[in-house]
Amino acid sequence: MSTGIDKTGIKIGMWLFLYSEILLFGGLFVLYAAYFYKYPEFFSEGGKELNRVIGAVNTVVLLVSSFTVAASITAVQRKAKKQAIGLLIFSIFCGVVFLVNKYFEWGAKFHHDIYPNSETLVSGEVGLNIFFGLYYVITGLHGLHVIIGMILLSISLVLVMAGKVTESKYSMLENAGLYWHLVDLIWIFVFPLFYLVL
Amino acid sequence: MTPVQGVDQAFWYILGFSTLLLFGITAVMIYFVIRYRRSKNPVASDIRGNYFLEIVWTIIPTLIALSMFYVGWTSYIGLRTVPENAIEIDVAGQMFSWLFVYENDKETENELVVPLGEAIKLNVTSLDVLHSLYIPAFRIKIDAVKGMETYVWFSADKIGEYDIQCTEYCGTGHSAMLAKLRIVPESEYLKWLEEE
Amino acid sequence: MIKTESFYDTPAPAGLTGIKAWLLTHDHKRLALMYMWAILFWFVIAMMFGLLLRTELMSQGRTIMGPEVYNSLFTLHGVIMIFLFVIPAIPAIFGNFFLPIQLGTDDVFFPRLNLFSWYLFMFGGVFALISLFTGEGFPDTGWTFYVPFSVEANSNVSVTVMAAFILGMSSMLTGLNFITTFHRMRDKNMGLMQIPLFTWSLYATAWVQILATPVISITLVLVVVERLFSIGLFEPDKGGDPILYQHLFWMYSHPAVYIMILPGMGVISEIIPVFSRKSIFGYKAIVWSSMGIAVAGSLVWAHHMYTSGMSDVSVFVFSLLTFLVAIPSAVKVFSWIATMHKGSIEMTPPLLLALIFIYLFSVGGLTGLVLGAVGTDIHVHDTHFVVSHFHFVMFGGTGFAFFAALHFWWPKMFGIMYEFKNAYIGAVLTAIGFLFHYVPMFILGLQGMPRRYYDYLPKYETGNFLAGFGGYLLCLGILIMFGNLFMSFKRRIPAPSDPWGATTLEWTVPSPPPVHNFVKKPQIKEFPYDFSEVGKREKNGEKSRKIL
Repeated sequence: MSTGIDKTGIKIGMWLFLYSEILLFGGLFVLYAAYFYKYPEFFSEGGKELNRVIGAVNTVVLLVSSFTVAASITAVQRKAKKQAIGLLIFSIFCGVVFLVNKYFEWGAKFHHDIYPNSETLVSGEVGLNIFFGLYYVITGLHGLHVIIGMILLSISLVLVMAGKVTESKYSMLENAGLYWHLVDLIWIFVFPLFYLVL
Repeated sequence: MTPVQGVDQAFWYILGFSTLLLFGITAVMIYFVIRYRRSKNPVASDIRGNYFLEIVWTIIPTLIALSMFYVGWTSYIGLRTVPENAIEIDVAGQMFSWLFVYENDKETENELVVPLGEAIKLNVTSLDVLHSLYIPAFRIKIDAVKGMETYVWFSADKIGEYDIQCTEYCGTGHSAMLAKLRIVPESEYLKWLEEE
Repeated sequence: MIKTESFYDTPAPAGLTGIKAWLLTHDHKRLALMYMWAILFWFVIAMMFGLLLRTELMSQGRTIMGPEVYNSLFTLHGVIMIFLFVIPAIPAIFGNFFLPIQLGTDDVFFPRLNLFSWYLFMFGGVFALISLFTGEGFPDTGWTFYVPFSVEANSNVSVTVMAAFILGMSSMLTGLNFITTFHRMRDKNMGLMQIPLFTWSLYATAWVQILATPVISITLVLVVVERLFSIGLFEPDKGGDPILYQHLFWMYSHPAVYIMILPGMGVISEIIPVFSRKSIFGYKAIVWSSMGIAVAGSLVWAHHMYTSGMSDVSVFVFSLLTFLVAIPSAVKVFSWIATMHKGSIEMTPPLLLALIFIYLFSVGGLTGLVLGAVGTDIHVHDTHFVVSHFHFVMFGGTGFAFFAALHFWWPKMFGIMYEFKNAYIGAVLTAIGFLFHYVPMFILGLQGMPRRYYDYLPKYETGNFLAGFGGYLLCLGILIMFGNLFMSFKRRIPAPSDPWGATTLEWTVPSPPPVHNFVKKPQIKEFPYDFSEVGKREKNGEKSRKIL
């Protein structure tokens, strides 16, 4: 009975899904708020120990990649297949850069004996333990979303190459793009909450 | 009015209204099913609603509900307002027993002894997982949480032995985590308190 | 009427054969039936667990099992009943089958996602089974997984928690699918106030699923993370706060109660008008009360925590809100009863089950007031009173709505009729067993017997014995009820397309429906519960079905 593809419907479904993803992080932000209220001074102390430069670089990287994903959708709409492929590859590359940065950042923290259940955190101030606990859980979960986003972008890339995503049928790419924007959006919240706190 | 009486009054109030409502709903339902059965009433009237009726049965239950809330809340205030001269006893839950520590550092396990006629305040905490201190006879219950102190109080107004149970699931021995509350005359209490 | 091939004979997508026609299908009707068999399987398992529990409690001390087994059995009874039966039962079976038809369309919006949800559901069930047989023992934390116990317990909690996580995903995706279908696939001539109430209730449910499920997902993930890495987010020694866990948990799990009951209310709102042959009383009020419950129900979670040690201000606020959320449910009950006023009531098994629903649900709702009021809740919190209360709502409510829905839509789903007499016997016996089983628990709770107790004080023995006895009666009733339904497969008495004289769209299509549901373009009624034509049809001597 349905004729053709209902793009609006697909988008509604995707938005509902993204909404649920935001609520997933929302639960963690509730925890953050409750503990921030309980240990404000340790949160600002912990925040100063994080590397703001890497954090800022990662923010820029994600923002740029978000832009290039959006541009690739426009490119597909304008039938500029090569350009779309290039932009997508660049976006995925940005995701890799983000994760590599994250790896070095976490690595450095591990090196200083700051990781879940580490000696320093367990015997130190409880407020710091909670701060870094939340830091690992939230950035970890976000990292997982970056990986999922990269997989979605890669699938879209393959589909663009194979000519399955075209100017008249680009819902897959568009939804992958929306997901990538979500990853970006959540980072925009995570960055100030941990790196720029007070 | 003691807190126990307050809580019991709230019980009677709410359960009374509820029974009345339930009886009304059921009776009307059964009456309709019999009165308007198809063999007796083959053609149904086409009634789709009645704003007046709908507003009435929204507002009246709201008022009843609010009155129930009020009764419940005032009886809760009774449970939370500790008299100033209350005797304080520290309570700690652990897997699977209750520890009671008196002001003179006397410590007992699963045995709470208090003097008749006094208000008793129990400061409750846990040494491990969640527990909950429950004395049905005095309608009090409070969770025992590690790293946190909670309290309950009751008025020891009748000599006797009462049950204390754990009501927050805490593992294999949960149902065996029982203690006894003994309310004894003041003189006996003082003697007991000095015993080793 | 032209003879049409039913969806059983037409695989979708076309060309699939044998078992593939089921396991790879996109057809919402086939998926509904696949859900049905899986859900019935889990229901029977969890019911047996429950019966074992009550048997253990029939006499004091050790009766048939030790405390470890008892504790894991009540955990599994809860986890399976909630995540594998009560939450999915009505939406996944009847929602999948009838929501598209009631909206006048041929399938849900995302058919493949629908199939994926089913696989998630099965996968979650398999996880629950795996958790039994691997690791260091049965999970024994209770379905609430309260910290710190769930983090410290040696048993196999992580796998059970993951099962709940996956099942949450499955129900959320179903909700997402329903909302999109509701908005995009609805027949163009069907306005919002022309949508059947069952579909409305599923729509409200779907929103709660999407809003609340992520919160439980993240909470459960945190339990697993804590078990793996011992970060200490809820561990007091490490600065965490166990009460926060409870807040997060109930922020989902209280709305989940409405995920469980709203579809059941939808079913009752369909059945009562049909057998009263009269429009539902206050259609708009019922729609709005569904949405009102969905919204207000999300704001009352902490009424599970009056004794947790949270501040008295929170206790005040949450108690007040709790009383306000009771009103929409009351409005529904009044509307159902008013629907029967001056109706033309025909007694049938679905109607009898619906009436039992109204009675049991009213008891459940009214005893909820005792729990909503703070002073009284303190006494009965975490006692058998609570156990009885939520079984009245979840089992007396959702469970009986599920039974009613089975009897109501059985002819449509399978194209056959069942026998009435045995259905009545089953229904009445189930209801009597139910009362025998749960009323003693109210009294036990008022006397102060806590829940999740393997053993108890001597004074509680009589009540526990009676409850156990009622449990057997209850199971016997259910056995008869299901047995009677399954006998219909053998007798194969064909059901007409509209055996009850109903008005919503699913009764205008053949029983069972063809693969695309509608043979000709659906005729959308001005008002979904307009029975004037049904009466006319009957006057012309057209009997809708043989009386069995």
